Amino acid sequence: MSQPFRIAGHGRVDHAQPVRFTFDGRTVEGRRGDTVASALLANGIHLMGRSFKYHRPRGVVSAGSEEPNALIGTSRGPGRFEPNTRATMQEVRQGLTAESQNKWPSLSFDVGAINDRLGRFIPAGFYYKTFKWPRSFWDKVYEPFIRQAAGLGKSPTEADPDHYASRHLHCDVLIVGGGPAGLAAALAAGQSGAETVLVDEQAEIGGTLLSEPGVRIEGQGAWDWLAAALAELRTMPNVRLMSRTTAIGYYHQNMVGLCERLTDHLDVLPEGAPRERLWRVRAGQVVLAQGAIEKPLVFDGNDRPGVMLAGAAQTFLHRFGVKVGNRVAVVTSHDSAWHGAFDLAHAGVKVAAIVDVRAEVPRVLTARAEALGIEVLTGHTVTGTTGRLRVATVRVNPVQGGRVGAGRTIACDALLMCGGWTPSLHLFSHTKGSLAWDAEAGAFLPDRKTEECEIAGAGRGLWGVAAALEDGARAGAAAAKAPGRVAGVGTFAVEGDRTGSGVVAKELPTDRDAGLAKAFIDFQNDVTAKDIRLAVREGMRSIEHVKRYTTNGMATDQGKLSNINGLMIAADALGKEAPAVGLTTFRPPYTPTTFGALANLRKGRHFEVTRRTAIDAWAEATGAVFEPVSLWRRAWYFPQAGEDMHKAVARECRAVRTAVGMFDASTLGKIEVMGPDAATFLERMYTNPWAKLQPGRCRYGLLLGEDGFIRDDGVIGRLAADKFHVTTTTGGAARVLNMMEDYLQTEWPDLDVWLTSTTEQWAVVALQGPNARKLLEPLVEGLDLSDDAFPHMAVVECTVAGFPARLFRVSFTGELGFEVNVPARHGRALWEALWQAGQAHGVVPYGTETMHVLRAEKGFIIVGQDTDGTVTPQDAGLGWAIGKAKTDFVGKRSLARPDIVAKGRKQLVGLLTEDPAVVLEEGAQIVADPNQPIPMTMIGHVTSSYWSEALGRSIAMALVEGGRDRMGEVLHIPMPGRTLRAKVTVPNFVDPDGQKLKV
Amino acid sequence: MTAQIHSFPRSTAVAVTVLPLEARFSLRLRAASREAAEAALGLPLPDRIGRTSEQGGRRALCLGPDEWRLDVPAAEAAAVAGALEGGIPHALVEVTDREVTFLIEGPGSLDLLAIGIARDVRRLEVGRGARTVFDGVQAVLVREGEERFTLAVWRSYASHVEELLRQGAREIALGL
Repeated sequence: MSQPFRIAGHGRVDHAQPVRFTFDGRTVEGRRGDTVASALLANGIHLMGRSFKYHRPRGVVSAGSEEPNALIGTSRGPGRFEPNTRATMQEVRQGLTAESQNKWPSLSFDVGAINDRLGRFIPAGFYYKTFKWPRSFWDKVYEPFIRQAAGLGKSPTEADPDHYASRHLHCDVLIVGGGPAGLAAALAAGQSGAETVLVDEQAEIGGTLLSEPGVRIEGQGAWDWLAAALAELRTMPNVRLMSRTTAIGYYHQNMVGLCERLTDHLDVLPEGAPRERLWRVRAGQVVLAQGAIEKPLVFDGNDRPGVMLAGAAQTFLHRFGVKVGNRVAVVTSHDSAWHGAFDLAHAGVKVAAIVDVRAEVPRVLTARAEALGIEVLTGHTVTGTTGRLRVATVRVNPVQGGRVGAGRTIACDALLMCGGWTPSLHLFSHTKGSLAWDAEAGAFLPDRKTEECEIAGAGRGLWGVAAALEDGARAGAAAAKAPGRVAGVGTFAVEGDRTGSGVVAKELPTDRDAGLAKAFIDFQNDVTAKDIRLAVREGMRSIEHVKRYTTNGMATDQGKLSNINGLMIAADALGKEAPAVGLTTFRPPYTPTTFGALANLRKGRHFEVTRRTAIDAWAEATGAVFEPVSLWRRAWYFPQAGEDMHKAVARECRAVRTAVGMFDASTLGKIEVMGPDAATFLERMYTNPWAKLQPGRCRYGLLLGEDGFIRDDGVIGRLAADKFHVTTTTGGAARVLNMMEDYLQTEWPDLDVWLTSTTEQWAVVALQGPNARKLLEPLVEGLDLSDDAFPHMAVVECTVAGFPARLFRVSFTGELGFEVNVPARHGRALWEALWQAGQAHGVVPYGTETMHVLRAEKGFIIVGQDTDGTVTPQDAGLGWAIGKAKTDFVGKRSLARPDIVAKGRKQLVGLLTEDPAVVLEEGAQIVADPNQPIPMTMIGHVTSSYWSEALGRSIAMALVEGGRDRMGEVLHIPMPGRTLRAKVTVPNFVDPDGQKLKV
Repeated sequence: MTAQIHSFPRSTAVAVTVLPLEARFSLRLRAASREAAEAALGLPLPDRIGRTSEQGGRRALCLGPDEWRLDVPAAEAAAVAGALEGGIPHALVEVTDREVTFLIEGPGSLDLLAIGIARDVRRLEVGRGARTVFDGVQAVLVREGEERFTLAVWRSYASHVEELLRQGAREIALGL
């Protein structure tokens, strides 16, 4: 295709490099350096989408990231579809697939546009007024309707195959915005030697200079000066230039989030390249040089394709070599649009008229227009446009003394508008820096700062390249001084600068019924001037309420174009000054940001850390099913062919009770408590007595909080007078260590004892079952494992299978048991040695589920399952673990509190269902009388419940009010459709006398 | 000897290897015992957090007001383990197997560390170390040279950290 609106040789695109892509299935040719928007305009395509609410045809309005209309879907293959990409930001690449949005069946004929005709029946607050009653309509009618109507574009349905990167960055000075102010700041800061980072969201750094080639700086053309400035910055090792990088958020203490787009512009994806990178920058000083955003004017038909911002037309002309029309009209309240019109005229575009709402316009501008043969209509208004899918005419009327005169029609194929400029203070707003209303400029300007930052250039209301350069140099030098650098403030000789001023307009006056005007403020959310006025009439007084009632500024562009116009109209309707009505606060991110960039490395396998033991790989190879336990993954059970979980667990349980099982207990928390005062420390921390525990012996330890409730438990072995090997629950390891450190450092700093986490030093294999000793004995060197020599609850340092080991004789199953600790590097080898040796003894590997069943058969608690932070040792039936002679331990005083010693506390008991085949649901509530009226009085709940293979029936544990006084009583567990009956028992179901341990 | 992790891309920008285990201890004692411990260990114990000292193949890194990480040759592990027995109140716990230590070297090493470490690693002087966090995982970082670092993490976190380092090294090798 011929690109009829491209000006040969003009602009910064590479005219020698055509780039082909598709838009709604049609092949479009652009140039390397084009955006999708500029390439479409070069081909005369203005219609790029349909609006969200009324499905009105829409064209591109701006040339930057503030674009509200030209939102497209882009794709580069399966999983790589992205909705709502701004056509003004997406660079063209070979083979890019782009499509318009919110249209059916086609962009040029859309059924949903019926909403446009019905617009007067869908006023502001329509949903709030309409979808109120009846209640039953909500689920079936209203919500589906709203959901169908809501949302821009189509959500991707496939997993994103791209990956995203993340990087931290530190610098002295971070400059946001690469226009003249940002460049001057970077030169000043860079020359001082400060570590400087300059970021710009565009593909090319340069900002305004890219659209103002006629300005001369230091005797050079703007583009030559720009090239020289960038070349100089590139030679500085302390300066980093980042294009295609958006500063998305400005957080506390000068933390700025950047999103860098790495591959979206590339024809071919490099293998393994991340698509985007999130940077977390900690900057000493931040210079915000984000410039200003042009305001649309508000008049009937201002959203027709072909109606666009004057500054955007100037950018398309100079940067991309594209004329936005052959015959354009201009409507403005600011001088800047006049210059844009002149540039277009010079490029051969017929400028039909310049309409200025001001009665008085600088003579230099009108004279120039006249010299170019442009009709000048000062003191005029625009009252309408025509054209179905593209603007065809504009209706203009004279305004005198507030009276709108007769209209006339001017033919045009593009209408350029300019309502002045809004300083871009989004990032400043993120810092909660306050803004002050400047009545003369008609804009909010930065006032009180909360962070170490400077605002430079148009962002603080300065206008013109010279002013921006000078202010940028000042800001850069000031920022560089903070880290102690000496920076000079550069001066710049600028010729051809096009400064100017304007007035702030609300909606333009009209001779027609303003109530029928479709004068849009928020293009993306389809909010018109009359919606704002309606909101005020209906009682909204604050801009925050007006915003939510009308949805003005609530679209993905966060009101970059609409907020200030909405405010001016609301203020006018309220008869107040703008600052009295307020300004909504901008929030991060500055522009829409992909979830991929925000999640970056935290996706797939790295969504969260998964901790693995040394034996994990063996379990995986053996077909274990895993379950997460805190950050660990643990083998849950080891199914054999054809086994479900129930069958596998039953087999594993049988093997442990009749032969021997092996279990990876490496995740248990381990703390080495060492020092002359180690025993004293444990006396104070744990409920149990430790002073008289002999080296070589172990004891079950119970840890309470200051409130007397159970926090953790575990076996503690004494290795020497001054050395204990403490074990904790898997999930409690870090918490217990922190709690111990807290007490040690704040309560007992006088104790000579130190805590070292050894959880990961040791791999631990538990051998449990009647054959455990037979399995282990041949592998242990120089140690008598007989019950007399190495009884239950003994510990010794020895050698097992050739590895240095700490060997515990402990049982969490009620069977003869050993736990072998070896340095973690040997964990896998130890496991395999025991596995080999165990083949003769019927060994099976078992997982956490079997471990849970076996301990429940013995009534051993799991902290956090059978306790919930309100259970005392007495409640849990662990009163025996309290050292009666001890004067103190953490939680002791609380155990004497009246409510702790009161009758009727919930106590841990066993439950046996009347129907032995029924396994209760964990968490099920328990009542005493199933015939009482609802809501019933609940007296407890089931904490653990399993099928016991050893008993051939179900077992359960429960916390029940006064439970130990209810032995033999039948309680009731109401479940959906039926109520179950269960008898209260002692929670010790298998080998209650512990005979199996005495072998 | 160090072993190149074969799955890492070959790159002149940054190389990552896992160091073989020698012997590592955590030493805790009060300031008053420091000189006696130095004599017994034959190794100065720096009194400023982050400083290292080396003598006769043994190295100490001060990680807290009363905490040092000792790295010694494997053959000396038993000797060191018993060096402080009798007299000096202390805790000396072997943690060799607790940790996996990555060696990261090359001109891209600072960039690679920056994918997971929030602090400004450039400011860490050569010969200094710090307890820090790599992508949420507690780690001890030592700057062995201008472009040479060791990063020690607990064993169960090592595969997570290693995969992130691999992903980062690939990205750095691409030069994007």
